[in-house]
Amino acid sequence: MLEKMLNTKFAQWLDERTHVVQYVRFHLLDYPTPKNLNYWYAFGSIALVVLIIQVLSGVFLAMDYKPAAVPTGNGFSMAFDSIERIMREVNDGWLIRYMHAVGASAFFFVIYLHMARGMYYGSYKKPREFLWIMGVMILVIMQATVFFGYLLPWGQMSYWGATVITNIFGAIPGIGDWLLQLVRGGYGVGDPTLNRFFALHFLFPFILIAFVFWHVMALHVVHSNNPEGIEPSKKGIIPFHPYYTVKDLFGIGVFLIVYSWFVFFDPTGHGLIIETNNFNPADPLKTPPDITPVWYLTPWYEILRSVPNKLLGIVGMAFAYVCLFLMPWLDRSPVRSARYRPVYRTMLLVFFASIGVLGYCGHHEVTPELLLIGRIASLVYFAFFALLPFVHKFEKNRPLPEDI
Amino acid sequence: MKTWTMVMILLGWLAGSGAAMAGEGMPPLKPVQLSMDQKTLQHGAQVFTEVCMGCHSLRYVTWKHLMDYPEIGMTREQVDEMRGDAPLTAPIKTGLSEADARESYGVVPPDLTLIARAREGGGAYIYSLLLGFEHDPEGKVPDGNYNLYFPGHRIAMADPLGWLDHDEDEEQELKEQARAVASFLAYVGEPHQLERKALGRKVLIFLVVLTLIFWLLKREVWRDVH
Repeated sequence: MLEKMLNTKFAQWLDERTHVVQYVRFHLLDYPTPKNLNYWYAFGSIALVVLIIQVLSGVFLAMDYKPAAVPTGNGFSMAFDSIERIMREVNDGWLIRYMHAVGASAFFFVIYLHMARGMYYGSYKKPREFLWIMGVMILVIMQATVFFGYLLPWGQMSYWGATVITNIFGAIPGIGDWLLQLVRGGYGVGDPTLNRFFALHFLFPFILIAFVFWHVMALHVVHSNNPEGIEPSKKGIIPFHPYYTVKDLFGIGVFLIVYSWFVFFDPTGHGLIIETNNFNPADPLKTPPDITPVWYLTPWYEILRSVPNKLLGIVGMAFAYVCLFLMPWLDRSPVRSARYRPVYRTMLLVFFASIGVLGYCGHHEVTPELLLIGRIASLVYFAFFALLPFVHKFEKNRPLPEDI
Repeated sequence: MKTWTMVMILLGWLAGSGAAMAGEGMPPLKPVQLSMDQKTLQHGAQVFTEVCMGCHSLRYVTWKHLMDYPEIGMTREQVDEMRGDAPLTAPIKTGLSEADARESYGVVPPDLTLIARAREGGGAYIYSLLLGFEHDPEGKVPDGNYNLYFPGHRIAMADPLGWLDHDEDEEQELKEQARAVASFLAYVGEPHQLERKALGRKVLIFLVVLTLIFWLLKREVWRDVH
């Protein structure tokens, strides 16, 4: 049926003028893929599905949301009221809002697994450096987008989270005060902050989509890596359609089951997806006992918090991202996949564990023990990147297979 | 097998951060079985308007909602009796002004629409708080303002159900009142929660069938790849 559609007179007419049939063939149908990609490779397609869910649900939420911190009595505001109106009065508003809130957490869960897979099989290495850099850019843009979005309900955690994070800008020497006021639209987080964060929360997904587009374009130039990390022969190549369209569809189906379970049966994720304290309206006079970001931002927040000096903490956090960007050049081993790199594999698993520990610490109130654990985990995080350039000198690779 | 290690690390992190979210430094909440049936919710609505409404409002719940929400399903006569001369489409609002509240209690009593969602423990917290009034073991906080479950133990709300020094034969009735109010507040915190779960069951069944078809399709298409 697809073949018939591409051969209609109309499709041919369009193709002669804008190459649409050629694009579909090149990017969706004939795109050559290694035959040994496992289910870890489905997370890219799944992330695209989540992006579409977020854009659609977000547009519908924006139709009923009011970005105004104007007080409406007893500590409530227009923004908070409009969210509750969506939850109670708008037809299926509760469903759209939960899809969006759970979607944010799902997006990060999927992207983190997608990145972990790339690191495990060495997909960041030549010739895929640019593909990897676009991927890390996508992560940074996602984190900015979600940070703007979390202010919008104007609850306690929205307000205080935004206050703590924007404070980071104030610590930059020289331009700190000027930058802080620019970001907030005033001295404190207030109505102007909410207005600009809403505008930026709407804008950033467009930038995100542009980078996703570039990421996919780059992939289709250098083609997918595979779990063996070697260049496949002609025998090992199959077209994307129908093989990976159906394999990804199955992956997407499994994802949607898990996602829907949260949307319908645990939409707040026991306080991990929507924090309990965010059901209290923002109160600038009442600082919550522990202000922590939502789980997907906590590892980076914990690196920031581990450093005793605020400015150095910011440098440390920025450096954590820089390390990710530099990964293709830090790793000098000619072998890609961790399947054949015993030392790298162990290091990588310890690195993943350090991110887990950082995330755990960043989610909790600081205690002396947690501070120490957080610092050790931060050191492990950076030690991984510091050791990367030297591993290949003493690592004895397992023999690589002839073909996939 | 190796890849599973990665999944386990991530899942362990999620589970760990979830478990440690539970409250620290407070006594465990009293166990309670909330119900979302008409009898309990109507009883809860009645206790709310007779007791809680003296100081607290439900800004997102109108009198009409008590008739329109099918899980509550009150009759027009029942609602008319409760609302007095307040308009049917007006929110359920206390007669206590913010200024008077500040003068009498030192604080403005919080709106209770979302209270079950905004406190760790939800309905169980409300139930425990209402039945948590005791004599201060150190004798510093006056009777009626000492509450076992309130952070810091000093609460401005003075024992609304009369739990302190209650008679033995009142106990069952007070517990039932607290349970009804806790259920009612847990319900109005998210009035679509039963609809959500009912729809969720259908969606999940649909997705499981769809995914099964995708799996069969995948198996069929991949049959010739070695």
